[in-house]
Amino acid sequence: MKFVLPALGSVAAVALFAFSTTHQSAVAVERPAYDETFEQLELFADVLARVRSQYVVEVDDSALIEDAMNGMLQSLDPHSSYISPEAFREMRMDTKGEYGGLGMEVTMEDGFVKVISPIDDTPAKRAGVKAGDFITEIEGKSLLGATLNEAVTQMRGKPGEAINITIVREGEDPLYLDITREVIKRQTVKSEIKDGIGYVRIAQFNEKAANGLKDAVAKLQKENGGRLPGLILDLRGNPGGLLTQSIEVSSVFLNGGEVVSTRGRRADDVNVYNAEKGQMAKNVPLVVLVDGASASASEIVAGALQDKGRGLVVGMTTFGKGSVQDVIPLRGGRDGALKITTQRYYTPNGRSIQASGINPDISISAIPDDGKDRKRFSEASLPNSIANEDETEVSKDETKVEVKIDYPPEEYEISDDYQLQQAIALLKSGTYAEKLAEVQE
Amino acid sequence: MRADVLTGLKWTSVALAAALSLSAPLAAIADEKNPKAVYEQMELFADVLSIVQDQYVEEVDTPSLIENALNGALHSLDPHSSYVAPVKFTEQREAVRREYGGLGIEIQSVGGLVRVNHAIEDGPAYEAGIRGGDMITAVDGTDIRGKTLDDAVSGMRGLKGEAVTVTVLSPGETSRDVVVVRDTVRGRAIRHRVEQGVGYIQIETFNNDKLTDDTTRALADLNTRMGKLDKLIIDLRGNRGGLLTESVNISGLFLDGGEVLSARGRDASDNERYNAPAGELYPDTKIVVLMSPGSASAAEIVAGALQDRGRGVVLGRRSFGKGSVQSVIPLGPEDGALRLTTQRYYTPSGQSIQGRGIMPDLLVSSLKDTGEIRKRFREDSLRNFLINPDETNYEEQYEDIVYPDETFPDDEDFQLRKAVEVLKTSQYERLLDAQDARF
Repeated sequence: MKFVLPALGSVAAVALFAFSTTHQSAVAVERPAYDETFEQLELFADVLARVRSQYVVEVDDSALIEDAMNGMLQSLDPHSSYISPEAFREMRMDTKGEYGGLGMEVTMEDGFVKVISPIDDTPAKRAGVKAGDFITEIEGKSLLGATLNEAVTQMRGKPGEAINITIVREGEDPLYLDITREVIKRQTVKSEIKDGIGYVRIAQFNEKAANGLKDAVAKLQKENGGRLPGLILDLRGNPGGLLTQSIEVSSVFLNGGEVVSTRGRRADDVNVYNAEKGQMAKNVPLVVLVDGASASASEIVAGALQDKGRGLVVGMTTFGKGSVQDVIPLRGGRDGALKITTQRYYTPNGRSIQASGINPDISISAIPDDGKDRKRFSEASLPNSIANEDETEVSKDETKVEVKIDYPPEEYEISDDYQLQQAIALLKSGTYAEKLAEVQE
Repeated sequence: MRADVLTGLKWTSVALAAALSLSAPLAAIADEKNPKAVYEQMELFADVLSIVQDQYVEEVDTPSLIENALNGALHSLDPHSSYVAPVKFTEQREAVRREYGGLGIEIQSVGGLVRVNHAIEDGPAYEAGIRGGDMITAVDGTDIRGKTLDDAVSGMRGLKGEAVTVTVLSPGETSRDVVVVRDTVRGRAIRHRVEQGVGYIQIETFNNDKLTDDTTRALADLNTRMGKLDKLIIDLRGNRGGLLTESVNISGLFLDGGEVLSARGRDASDNERYNAPAGELYPDTKIVVLMSPGSASAAEIVAGALQDRGRGVVLGRRSFGKGSVQSVIPLGPEDGALRLTTQRYYTPSGQSIQGRGIMPDLLVSSLKDTGEIRKRFREDSLRNFLINPDETNYEEQYEDIVYPDETFPDDEDFQLRKAVEVLKTSQYERLLDAQDARF
């Protein structure tokens, strides 16, 4: 079974969803050297035997093996891990079950849990948690050294229960926040007409995303008398989700053709995913809004529309989560499951998203220029992240002529959403076609 | 599940079955109480390894996967257990076998220049005429100006007996080349002086195999200078420990035989007892041991032994609590070694130091009162630390701590002043009596 995971562990209801395609690779596989593996397993068993007999207190074998597997898998990349039977059961329940969370996207940095973004209208957002905050303690207990999973598990629990978290923010005293868990329900798709321009926001690529988008586009077209002068697809802060949904979402704007391909280690391990024919929003000028928290499925959509010249990608460089994880149940899940990175995503033009992300056609910042070269939090900044194997491309990006970023004026209110206002202005200015032609060259 | 996963499972099962019949360690596991469970655990691990080898997005390096697996398992036990990979292990052994030589200077980087803070007396640099305050501008002809201190030091270190040419600039003179022959240089582990009529020794580390000899000499010197060494302060603040034998021998200087500590493993057969030699150098000397939260391991052994045996008073703050013993177990020529916690230390009265440390007889703070106990970094602040099964409260109580008052000068040592005060008054005897009540 294959899953496409959101880029980041999440306290909210970002869950995992089954993805119906299974691809069989029936080709004979070249085995790694037997002898080496054999010797290494023997070494492992040897150490285990000594720990069992000589450690100062009795040890729990299964906990020891679990920690060993996690030590091994987490050394590969930040998205690979072992999932214990209990966690695997919970994970499968999560896809439908209700549990309480705080409502934020989190990841791991410098051994601490870092907030990518608090989700609108959730306890975390209302309590004043901000993007970039570090969570250092839960219920007074330090999180230093804890895994992301452990931290997320501690934050989740019964809705209605309050927990205390310690937030550290640069240059400020630690904040101690009591936050009451809630069932985090995220409206997947939001839409409205803004200044005569259609606006659709997709919060995550769950199974409602594509249909939600189609309904929204139909509704907006109807409201506007059948035709939209322009449409903004807002994927900012969208951590990803289901691959199938990203294909279907792209199909709303494309008339067939490749959306994305995934490639594994072996040359024959390639899957190409094509858009359906139909293209509901044909000829509607399109701006895709992205930022550093747009990851995975969001990057697939932005990358496909950009490569196909179907829209202008506007905002800031995306996260760069271009890897696919398989969740492989071990003995039907009785022994838990293994989550490992097996493939990379490539845009139709063959660009790997991994680590480098999607660069916008027009760079617009949400916050005023502080003069500093702002360090972007991205996949590449995760410890152990898989490098983009296309080194030439990365180095090309680095030497690329300085990207011009459009910053809001200093006194600009962040809540006024500069990126969105600029996107609307762009669609209304009549220069869209010109700009699109420009970036095509 | 994918077809290739299934074949992977089959293959590993076969490999393991073979391993079980051949390999002693696997057999050792299989022989225990519940062989099936352990076998299944090993099989699960082998499955996971096989899937990773087969399906991970990039080629994987099996030895480094195993190294990370072992460290994942061992770090989960406690912060001091780990796997030492083959290369590192060889390096460690080399470091022990070959004697590295140095020049015997303490250096500091001052505006991109390397300045000699102190040349150890009788050290090679000192013999060659280098003194504190000199600048070093080049090593073997390589200019080290503007280089990092690490770079400068690495040029100066090397094998004992080898000569190195350093270019030295003494204040007010032109630079000159000095040839220095590297020699083994022992850092000063002990300092001593007479402090307000009281003998004072400071032991910085127990990682020095001449420590007991040096201490014996220092005590003799104090005895001569004071006429009679009747009062002694042993300062172990910030001492992170070191060689167990040195801690036993240092304790032995002040004890007439009897137990200093015991190390106990999971089985009674693993227990080891360490005794002081008979005969005591200064039986009538009153002793105060100074402790801080940074005093660990061997330092805690000395303080614990003198306290438990009623031989001295411990003053300061609760110590670190590193009361576990790690054994380095070689795993075979190509396999590196295992650093594993195998025993705990116990003081003569049977208290485990692990995670608790030594509680002073008199709690004295070096810093001024802030109205609450400042959290200090100790063993029990480490994630996953090995828990002490003794559940009696060992936390310092705020109201028990003596703080320097507002007027006490910041550049003076309040704990040292209190130690002198205790030794010179009847408080010393009162604190010893209170110890008796405790044990």
